[in-house]
Amino acid sequence: MEGRWQRLLRSLLYGHDVDRNVKAKARIGLAIVAFAGIFSIIAIRLVMFATTSEGHGGRRSITQDAVATARPDILDRNGEILATDVKTPSLFAEPRKIIDVDEAVELLTAVLPDLDANEVRERLSSKRGFVWLKREITASQQHEIHRLGIPGVGFLTENKRVYPNGPVVSHELGHVNIDNQGIAGIEKWLDGQGLAALHMAGLATDQLQRPVNLSVDLRVQFALRDELIAARDKYKAKASAGIIADVNTGEIIAMVSEPDFDPNNPREATDPNRLNRLTTGVYEMGSTFKALTLAMALDSGRVSLSSSFDARMPLRYGKFEIHDYHAQKRVLSVPEIFTFSSNIGTARMALSLGVDYHKAFLKKLGQLDRLRTELPESAEPLVPKHWGELNTVTIAFGHGLSVAPLQAVMGISALVNGGKLVPPTLLKRDQPEADRLAQRVIKPETAEKMRYLMRLNVERGTATRANVAGYYVGGKTGTSEKVVGGHYSKTKVLTSFTAILPADKPRYLLLVMLDEPQGLPETHGFATSGWNAVPVGAQVIERVAPLLDISPRFDLPKADQMLLVSAKEMR
Amino acid sequence: MRLLNILVIGALILAASFVYKIKFDSTLQAERVAKLRGELRRERNAIAVLRAEWAKLDTPGRIQGLADRHLALQPVKPNQFDKLDRLPEKPSPVVPSPDRDQIGVMLAPGPDTTGSVPRTGR
Repeated sequence: MEGRWQRLLRSLLYGHDVDRNVKAKARIGLAIVAFAGIFSIIAIRLVMFATTSEGHGGRRSITQDAVATARPDILDRNGEILATDVKTPSLFAEPRKIIDVDEAVELLTAVLPDLDANEVRERLSSKRGFVWLKREITASQQHEIHRLGIPGVGFLTENKRVYPNGPVVSHELGHVNIDNQGIAGIEKWLDGQGLAALHMAGLATDQLQRPVNLSVDLRVQFALRDELIAARDKYKAKASAGIIADVNTGEIIAMVSEPDFDPNNPREATDPNRLNRLTTGVYEMGSTFKALTLAMALDSGRVSLSSSFDARMPLRYGKFEIHDYHAQKRVLSVPEIFTFSSNIGTARMALSLGVDYHKAFLKKLGQLDRLRTELPESAEPLVPKHWGELNTVTIAFGHGLSVAPLQAVMGISALVNGGKLVPPTLLKRDQPEADRLAQRVIKPETAEKMRYLMRLNVERGTATRANVAGYYVGGKTGTSEKVVGGHYSKTKVLTSFTAILPADKPRYLLLVMLDEPQGLPETHGFATSGWNAVPVGAQVIERVAPLLDISPRFDLPKADQMLLVSAKEMR
Repeated sequence: MRLLNILVIGALILAASFVYKIKFDSTLQAERVAKLRGELRRERNAIAVLRAEWAKLDTPGRIQGLADRHLALQPVKPNQFDKLDRLPEKPSPVVPSPDRDQIGVMLAPGPDTTGSVPRTGR
C-alpha cells in the first residue's frame, strides 16, 4: 500500500523518468479521488438540507402567526378570564392594484356602512403600497367582502384584545391600543416585562405566552363594584371607591373606583373623572389617620391603653383652634380618644412624642414616599415642605398630608397584621414570598392593641353600623373636609371607612371611600362617614365574606375580653 | 462486462424511480402537515373565541341579572350558615303505615334495581 503511494507520488513529482502507462494510471486515480471528494460533499449537503428543511417550514408559519401581536391571557386568582386574545380579520387594500376606485368605494361602503366614503376614496387614490381600510371586522363581513371580488383588497388576521367582564376590572387591567400594545394598567406592565421586545423581534406568538394570574377575585370585585355603584347613587356622591386587600400577603383582592371605564372602549379611559382614585389620587384621609397616630403612640412605649389626655378645651395653636366633632369636654383615655375620634386627644398624643418621631414613623410606614405597584399609574403624596408642630397636630388627625388611599391601606394593614409592612401587589403572591418582602414596623403587641381598638370602635364608637352579626368586624371611620378655594369646606367632605375582618385575627382589610356624599332624610341630613361609608362597608362585608371563605361565628367575646385573652396567650 | 453495465443501468433506473417515489410521498406528507397545521390554528382560534364567549356569558354581572329576573333566591344572611358538627343526628326511620299507597309500592326500588328507572315501571 505504502509502496504504491510512493510510486504514485514519484510518478507525479519526477514525471520524466517514469513509464507513460504508470503516469496515466496515477493521473486517472488522482482525478477519481478528486471527483469522489466533490460528490461526497454534495451528497452530505443534500442530506443536511433534507433534514433541516422541516425547520424552515416551521419558522414561516410562526411568522405568519406573529403578524398580529399576541398577548398572554390575564386570569383572576381563581382562573376566570379577565382578558384574552381573539383573532379577527382586518381589511386592507393595495391602492396600486385597484382598478376602479369608485366602484371599490361603493361596494365596500355597502358592506361596511360605518366606513366614511370620502376617507376611503382618499386612501384608495393614494400611491401607497398598503393602507388599512378597517381594523377588526366580523367574520360575516369578511365573507361578504370576499365575495365582492374587488382586486387589490385583502384581509390580515390580527389579535384583538377582549375583556369579557367589561368595566368590572377596568382600572387594574388598563387597556391596549389598536396594535395590541398596553397603554395602561397591568397591560402596560406586561409590555414592560419583555413582551414589547418579543413583539419587536416578531416572536410573540400564541404558543409562547403564559397566562398571568392576578390577585384579584372577580366575584369579590364584582360584588364590591355593585355595592359602590349603589352607594354612589344613594348618597349622590361624586365618586365612590373601595379596596379589599389581604393584610398578610398584601394582595389586592378587589379594587374599584367609580366612575370607571370599559377597557373594550379605550376612549372612555382618558376622561379625567374616570381615573383610578385609589392609586392616582391623593387625599387627606381624615380620622383614618388617627389609627396611625395611636399605633405610633402605643408602640413608642410612652403611652399605654390606660393613659389619658386632656380634651376639655379646644387645642389652641397660634391662631388655629382644633375642635372635636363629638366633643366630650373631659379628660379622655386612649380607647375613648379612638372611639370618640377626638382630634384634640390625637393631636396632644402626637405632640407628646415630638415632630421628628412622628415624621420618622410615617416614613417607616411608607406614607411619605410614592407607592409603586405593578400599575404604572401612581401619585406622589403631598407632604408639607416645612414640617412644624402645627403640621404634626393636623396630620395626627389626618389633615395636611395627602396620600393615595392604597398607601393608607398598606399602612393600616401593617398595624393589624402583627406589625409587618407588606407592599401591595396585583399579582398572586403566597405567604412565604410576602414574608420575604415584609418589614417589621411595629411590635406584635401594638398590633394586638390596634385590633382591640378597631373592634371597640365598631362595638361602641363611630362605626357601630358596621357591626355585621357573626363577622366580628373592626374598623375606623374617617371624614375629612375637602379644600375648596384654599379653605376647608364644611359641606364638601370625603368620607371613608376602613374595616378589618375578622378583628381577632385579621385576614382582609376593606376600605370604602365616598367623595362628597350628600345628607339624606334617613341619615338625618348628616354626611359624615358613620352615616354613609360605614353602612356601605357593612353591606359589602355581608356580601363578600362568604366569598372570601370567612365563616360567621356567633360565640365571640366582647372587645374587652379579646384583649384579655390575647394578653394571657402572650404571657 | 456488458452484463455488468446492464445490471448497473437497471439498478440506476430502480434507484431513480425509488427516489422519485420517496420525494413524491414526502411532498404529500408535507402538504398534509401544512394542512393539519392550518387546521390546528383554526381550531385554536375557535377555542379562543369560545373561551372569550364563555367568559362573557359567565360574568357575575350577567348571572346576577339572570338570577334577579328568573329566580326567587335571596343573598345568604350570616345566620343562615352553621358548622357541620352542629348538624342534628339523622332522624330515625319513619315507621311504614299499615295502609301503604299503591303508587309508593310501585316506585320503591326493588332489590336488584340499578339505575334511577324502577324495575316495576317497565
